[in-house]
Amino acid sequence: MERRSFLKSFGAMGAAITLIPQLGYGEEAKKVAGPNALSLDAAMSAITGGKAVTFSPKVTLSAPEIAENGAVVPVKVSVESPMTEKDHVKEIHVLASKNNNVRCADVYLSPANGSASFGTRIKLGGTQDVVAVVKMSDGTFLAAKQNVKVTIGGCG
Amino acid sequence: MAEIKTLIKIKPKTYSVGDVVAVDFMAMHPMESGMRKDKDSGALILAHYINEVTFLLNDKVITKMVTWESLSVNPLFSVNLKITGAGTLKILAKDNKGQSVETTQQITPKG
Repeated sequence: MERRSFLKSFGAMGAAITLIPQLGYGEEAKKVAGPNALSLDAAMSAITGGKAVTFSPKVTLSAPEIAENGAVVPVKVSVESPMTEKDHVKEIHVLASKNNNVRCADVYLSPANGSASFGTRIKLGGTQDVVAVVKMSDGTFLAAKQNVKVTIGGCG
Repeated sequence: MAEIKTLIKIKPKTYSVGDVVAVDFMAMHPMESGMRKDKDSGALILAHYINEVTFLLNDKVITKMVTWESLSVNPLFSVNLKITGAGTLKILAKDNKGQSVETTQQITPKG
């Protein structure tokens, strides 16, 4: 065998060997992630059905700016609304932009709640944006966003 | 499977008709994300998380939640409730392995 062709074929083989495990890993990660593993944009459009979302000061998202422990991050969403039959908050969605599963919680409220607010504690895998998407009774979507710095990740 | 322990707190403790109170509901649950590995065997631990919580006031649904594994261990769910009179608050929680728990709390407004 000539030296040139030998090197070529051997090089190609080496590349194939290094490529295979990477492909395998990617597929395994997909399997584990499950059907909910969407990107933030995909999850947002799944919630809104492609409608426009406006960032509004009516929605208050309170989360710590720096979270020491990503395993427990308190998040509270409150929305200015009279909560009457005609004008109330229908849904509150909490999303973590870089988690494996972006969607954290969907909350379906009713006028019996008196005022629109939802508090919970979420896990964050790293520094990322926490997004709250709110659906009003007239069908419009409002949102609020906050960046949370995480020093120790909370997933795994 | 161990039973899910729950906790309900109404803040403030004393309230009257017309007030808006905060209802905190906590469930003791491992909330496994399905991403963690067992330290000894190296196998992935199956996802195990609460995926549905329903708040009922006098058997009428007031708030429904659909949740995923991104919530913390022993998750807290806090919503507001307008007091319209005495009644029973019932909270149902379900996890993805089919286990469910039901908790009730009497609502007794003063004055």
